[in-house]
Amino acid sequence: MEGDERVKRWRGRARGQATLEFAFAAPLFLLCLLGTIDAALWAVQTSAAVSAVEEGARVAASAVNGPLAPSPPNARDITSSVESQLKNALFATSVRPWPRSCPATPGDVEALFGPRVVAVCVHENQPPACTTPPAGVQPPYPLYCADSPTVSVQVIGFMASLVPPSFGLGWRGGEIPLDIGATTHTLRFAP
Amino acid sequence: MIRRRSRRQAGGDAQAILETALVIPLMLLLISNFIGLMVQVSVQEQLDSAVSLAAASRFQASEEAHDPAGSQCCPDPRCCARAADATSLTTAGLPTGCRYAAETFYGTMPVERFLIWHDRPLCLTGGDSAAVSGPSHDGIPYARSPSNSHVSCDIGSTDADGTVHRGFLDHALNPPFGLYVVTCDATATLDFSRTPLAWGVFWSPALHAHAESVPPPFRQ
Repeated sequence: MEGDERVKRWRGRARGQATLEFAFAAPLFLLCLLGTIDAALWAVQTSAAVSAVEEGARVAASAVNGPLAPSPPNARDITSSVESQLKNALFATSVRPWPRSCPATPGDVEALFGPRVVAVCVHENQPPACTTPPAGVQPPYPLYCADSPTVSVQVIGFMASLVPPSFGLGWRGGEIPLDIGATTHTLRFAP
Repeated sequence: MIRRRSRRQAGGDAQAILETALVIPLMLLLISNFIGLMVQVSVQEQLDSAVSLAAASRFQASEEAHDPAGSQCCPDPRCCARAADATSLTTAGLPTGCRYAAETFYGTMPVERFLIWHDRPLCLTGGDSAAVSGPSHDGIPYARSPSNSHVSCDIGSTDADGTVHRGFLDHALNPPFGLYVVTCDATATLDFSRTPLAWGVFWSPALHAHAESVPPPFRQ
């Protein structure tokens, strides 16, 4: 009789130990699992952003209407093409066109649009205008004035993350920063 | 009897602690290496993209355009406390297409502290895919080419006196004569010891990107 009680007590203690072990192991296991999925998601989404930005930069750099086209490709068209590519690839993150010249940090995007938003920005930079060089200086003057314009395509902001605080990288937690950009020269023959 | 049971229980506890002590670091090691692999894939993709855009951007400048005295590009923002002190690539006298390629590469490839670049001459001429290796395959640097560039491009150009410098001759295109194309290459080592993953990722992969760009019809 006394022996039975001891066995019951021992079984109860073993069950308690198993519950405690589970309580420790389960969150750790879940954290690792979600962290792994997060890393994979980050890689896939970054890859999509790199492809979209490269494609956008190629279109922006090309002379869409032929090499003698006087006007650059429409920045809005490029923005919306990058935006539509990204919308299919980003998980729980919205994509918006950036209204002004490109933001410097993902925090700028979060300050304007809120969390889990990435912005698409296309910006053309004109070279300085050429002027008559001073005596003894060879044209073109100033330096780089004869260059073709450069165009920058940028995808920047915070993506959604499964593991708060996303390895410590997020600003408010539950986010991973994304900042992919490309700058290239454009093709312009027309004056 | 009781002593035996308590000894058994203590043994069980020790075993559980030992199992946890073995499994948790192993699991974290696996995960950090998985994250390392994802980082490697992502950086490789960005490198491919930057090199590919660099090769294509050469054609935004004409064959005859050369940089005037004083031209330089691409200061390295990691170099110095003041941006003005940063090392630049001097491109005076080089084909403008070389600077365009470098500006595109440096403007596209993000600044990553964990990349160790294998610098090479910026601007090369005269490579040939039929040659086995060495300068006749890779091309030779232009006389004034800086040698500390992260990206190296083989491009053709024409001097003011009409001297033609050939680009890279790819025999796989337009057989049997081949076609002169622009090639760009960049090589870097991904050094995980400079990242928070250093404790568990012990490999340092070498990343290489190569891109070839065929001249558009108006440049052929």
